[in-house]
Parts: sequence; structure tokens; C-alpha cells
Amino acid sequence: MNVRNPERAEALAAEYVLGTLRGRARERFERLARADWTLGEAVRNWEERLLPLAEELPPVAPPTRVWAAILARTGKAPVARASIWSSLGLWRALAFASLATVVALATVLLRPAPEVPEGALVVVLAGTDARPALVASADRLGRYLSVKPVARVDVAADRALELWMLPDGASPRSLGLISATGVVRVALSGPADQALRNIPALAVSLEPRGGSPTGLPTGPVLYSGPVQRMY
Amino acid sequence: MALDPTKQLERNARLTDLLARTALADQRAFAELYRTTSAHLYAVALRILRDTGAAEEVLQESFVNIWHHAGSYVAAKSQPLTWLTSVVRNRCLDQLRRREVQTVTMDDEDEGLAIAAEDPTPLEMLLSGADARAVGACVEALEQGQKQAIALAFFQGLSHSELAHHLREPLGTVKSWIRRGLERLRACLDGAGVTR
Repeated sequence: MNVRNPERAEALAAEYVLGTLRGRARERFERLARADWTLGEAVRNWEERLLPLAEELPPVAPPTRVWAAILARTGKAPVARASIWSSLGLWRALAFASLATVVALATVLLRPAPEVPEGALVVVLAGTDARPALVASADRLGRYLSVKPVARVDVAADRALELWMLPDGASPRSLGLISATGVVRVALSGPADQALRNIPALAVSLEPRGGSPTGLPTGPVLYSGPVQRMY
Repeated sequence: MALDPTKQLERNARLTDLLARTALADQRAFAELYRTTSAHLYAVALRILRDTGAAEEVLQESFVNIWHHAGSYVAAKSQPLTWLTSVVRNRCLDQLRRREVQTVTMDDEDEGLAIAAEDPTPLEMLLSGADARAVGACVEALEQGQKQAIALAFFQGLSHSELAHHLREPLGTVKSWIRRGLERLRACLDGAGVTR
């Protein structure tokens, strides 16, 4: 590869940036351009000339899993306080939970109890072991969510359980405190199908008594589950 | 994304700032950089690779790389979006190279080249930027064959032989379209004072 000839060097830089320089020639040129300042400059100049063309492409939003994977690999969350919510653990838990939901939901629905009527929203909240701990349900047009423990949930006296909505691509929003022992009615901002629209999942975190002091979850995520629409 | 010059300056200043802060391991800046540029960069990768899985992988690799090497941007002295685009495009072209090594036959090429009918063609995309950008105007001034070959190579990542196959022209003709087209582009752009 003769890059000593300036015209040839210029032509190679152009085809490298355009993408038509391929195979071993591309690899060799890349190495040379890294070592040779003039050649590197030629490449940068061609990038400035040609790459603005790419801005004409209509943008396409990538799936959220790409960002989750980037976070997992850069080892940190983008916002320190939200670390738990971006952690791989949570997403694993959610994946487990959705698997468990099929089983858990069947159990819930087969029970004679009338707590899950037709046209309902149901969320089975399970821990990382995929065992359901709480079930949240609402009438589609109802303005509250009933949250009921379905397994023993141990909470220290100075701690509380807080229920959160996990909107797609935004910070968690609190729905309030719930009880580890009895049914709690959590008020919604409107009819359930409206209030939980765009909310793919709910989660429960362990917080200081009285709830999170920051408006965002501060403790570990104990349970989570996808919002299932039964209509 | 054809912005007017003032907006473009503002955006570049913002992106440069985000890259500088990312180089200092500022995670918020990195997240904002991703939010601002990922849809644009994903579109670039999708167009070249024509495979969502491969495009997602390239985007992921690119941003992991950007997180670790944002500092090298400062040294490169390019426009920020140009630098980001080059990171993504080079990874895409690496992927294509790996594919080329794996598939020696050209039999299934037509399928690989299938472009959804509703998508704007590479040529239309070039021309859509013609008003806003000197590079669009200079491409517009090229001869038809040169224009088409350059657009397909740039947006779809086609190699010389793929271009020859796609355009049903001899390899030599396509190669000279590309070479002459690039020469004319450079003369046109440098005349318009686009590069430093």
C-alpha cells in the first residue's frame, strides 16, 4: 500500500471513510493512519466532509435493552441514587417474575376468591426467587389498587414497604406504602387503565419507616412484577 | 436532523461538553449523550447492517467504547457527532468485513440487499439534505452514476463488488465512479470552505 504518494493517500483515506476500502487493505490502512499523522488528518478531513450525510437518516430509537446492557458493562448506573433500578439484578428479577406470573396468575385466578374480576389489572409481585409475595389488582375503571400479601413478608419494625410504578424510560413513581400483613388500598390518580397506562411494571422496595425520604427508592427492591391487563 | 447553523453550533457545543464530561467518568453526562445521539447512531448502524440484532450489538459496543475512550475525542478535533458517527460506522464496517470472510458466495446477496419499499432510497436521503448542507449540494452536482454509487456505498455499506452487482455495471466502471465522484466532491466541498 503506497501511502507515500499524496494523491494515493488521499484516495485511500476517502474510500476508507466512504467504506469501500475493505478486507485486509482496510485493516492495513487503519494501522498506517493511526501511526501517521498526515494520513490520520486526511481521514479526519474526509470524515468531516462525508459523515454529515448520515444526519439525513431518519432517527430510529433503539430498544431499551441496549442501554441496560451498556450500563451493565460500564459497571455503573447513570444516576447514583437510581442504581438499583438500573441494575441487572432488577431486570433479571423482572424476567423471572414474568415467568413466574403465568404460574402465579393461574393460582390466583383459579381461586374462588372474587378479588380478580373480569376487566382487571393484575400485578404479581415476586422476589428474585420468583415466588409471589404480593398481588396487586384493580378494576379496570377503579380508582384504587388492592395490594394483598400472598406469602409471609418479614419487615423490621423500623422499615416499611413502598410500592412503585416503573414507567418505561423514566424514574420510578411512588404509589405509597403498603402493608406486609393485610390488604391495603392504594389510591390511583385516575381510573386504573389510565393511571397505569405506559407502566409496564410495579416494584416494592424496602424503605425507612414513613417511606423514602427522597421521592425515589432508596432501599433494595424486594419484589417486582409486570402489569397484566385482563381485558 | 438538518438543523440550521445556529442550532447546529449549539448542539455541537452541548455534545462536546457531554463528551468532555463523559471522559471524566460523569455518568449523567454519559446517559444524556446516549439519550441525545443513540437514535441517530442506531439508524446509521441499522442502515448498514440491515439486522436489528447486529445493529444493537454495534451500538452497545460503541457506547461502551465511548465511555472508556471519550478522552481521545478531545485529541481528534472533529465535530462531536462526526466523531461518534465514525465510531459507529467503523464498527459496522468491521462487522461487514467479518461477514465477508464468512460468506464467500454472492448468491444470497439480493436478499441481503433488499430494502424496504417505504424507506427513502439512499439517493433521496442525499438529496433531502441538499438545501441544508454543502455536502448534499456537492453530491447533487455529481453525475448520476457517481452519485448513486457513492450513496449506496455510504448508506448501505456496499463494497465495490456489491455495487457492481447491484448497479449491474462492470467492476471497473463502479470503481472509477467512486474514485472520480470522491475527487469531485472534495473539490466542490473544499471550494465551499467546508473543511478546515
